[in-house]
Amino acid sequence: MDAFIPASGSNRPVVTIKLASTSDELMQCFALRSAVYIGEQQCPYAEEFDGNDYTASHLILYVDGEPASCMRLRWFGTFVKFERAVILKRYRSMGLFVPFTQWAMEFARKKGYSRVYLHSQHRLWPIMERQGFRKVSEQIFNFSDHEYGAYYIDLAVDAKTAPTMHTDPLVLNRPEDRLDMPGILERSAERGATNPHAEWTERRAN
Amino acid sequence: MSAVTRSIDGEPVTTKLAMKMEDSMQAFAVRAACFIGELDVPYSEEFDGHDFGATHVIAYVGDEPVGAVRVRWFQSFAMPERLAVIQRFRGHNIGQLLLERCRQLAEARGCNMLYAQVLPPDIKYWEKQGWRRLVPEEMSNGAKHIVAMVRAVDPTKPLPAVEAPEAIVLRREQQLDASGRPLGTVSN
Repeated sequence: MDAFIPASGSNRPVVTIKLASTSDELMQCFALRSAVYIGEQQCPYAEEFDGNDYTASHLILYVDGEPASCMRLRWFGTFVKFERAVILKRYRSMGLFVPFTQWAMEFARKKGYSRVYLHSQHRLWPIMERQGFRKVSEQIFNFSDHEYGAYYIDLAVDAKTAPTMHTDPLVLNRPEDRLDMPGILERSAERGATNPHAEWTERRAN
Repeated sequence: MSAVTRSIDGEPVTTKLAMKMEDSMQAFAVRAACFIGELDVPYSEEFDGHDFGATHVIAYVGDEPVGAVRVRWFQSFAMPERLAVIQRFRGHNIGQLLLERCRQLAEARGCNMLYAQVLPPDIKYWEKQGWRRLVPEEMSNGAKHIVAMVRAVDPTKPLPAVEAPEAIVLRREQQLDASGRPLGTVSN
């Protein structure tokens, strides 16, 4: 579900966060990352678009409908890795990073993930620590011209609602950022099982 | 015209037309870097709905996409726009290389006129590459934020005198899904 971060005054901008689920939204994520990493930080294209974009989930944040920020999530066996988080320059003083990270953590938690892992640029360490992230180790490593440390945080997964193999099968088919709302396939289930391909097999036998 | 760079630090400089999804993606990444990242253009203005009706040309240094331009096709002219070169690769005439590729493309399609909308500080850049104002400076209204410029595809066949008032060719196209025919015809 699109998340509206509550605005305290009527003229505050409307902030919306969602899972990028169309090619347009994916394109917007790529444009934001190009603007910040390639445009501002001089990252080479091949390092920015590293081959993992089509194995990941992308989150996108809009300010008054304009793409402003995005983040990439990759799902590993025991943790989810948050990466490639950017905020467009003009939206940087709005305090979007912490609520966006919190939204992403809530998204991962509802999906049943109990641990988030990320590589944080050195200058962001205090922000990560204020949010409760802990260093994995003291190791500092470099890539794409920046200094990084690995951080993690544990999430309190709700055993009653977290998806398992015994969850209602159609709940697992729901859009992943709306696991608590009926999805389009549940409506399709009302049509019943007509097995439209069954007759085709018979026709082929003629 | 000044000599065009063929290599930077030993890496060949090449151009190609976007043919695959990934090629278009590279053109979009270069434009996002320059226009959204550097010039603070909103996403919705940069990706304005014309990208899937246009031809994209990309410039590479080695394997690195470093420049891009988009050409839109009209009956009487071809329109290069969204010309972008990644900041650290500027100063090597990569923009000129891209525009020359546009010219060749227009020539191959039997088009005899290139038309562009240019910001006033960039006019000299385009003039150096053989472009001229569609409407002479003394005749145009000084308050214009963009200036229409044209160039003959084949310089041996100069463009005929232009009668179209600048105000008409600078008008924005209709909404893409509206029934109105696209404007932008330069009548010569």
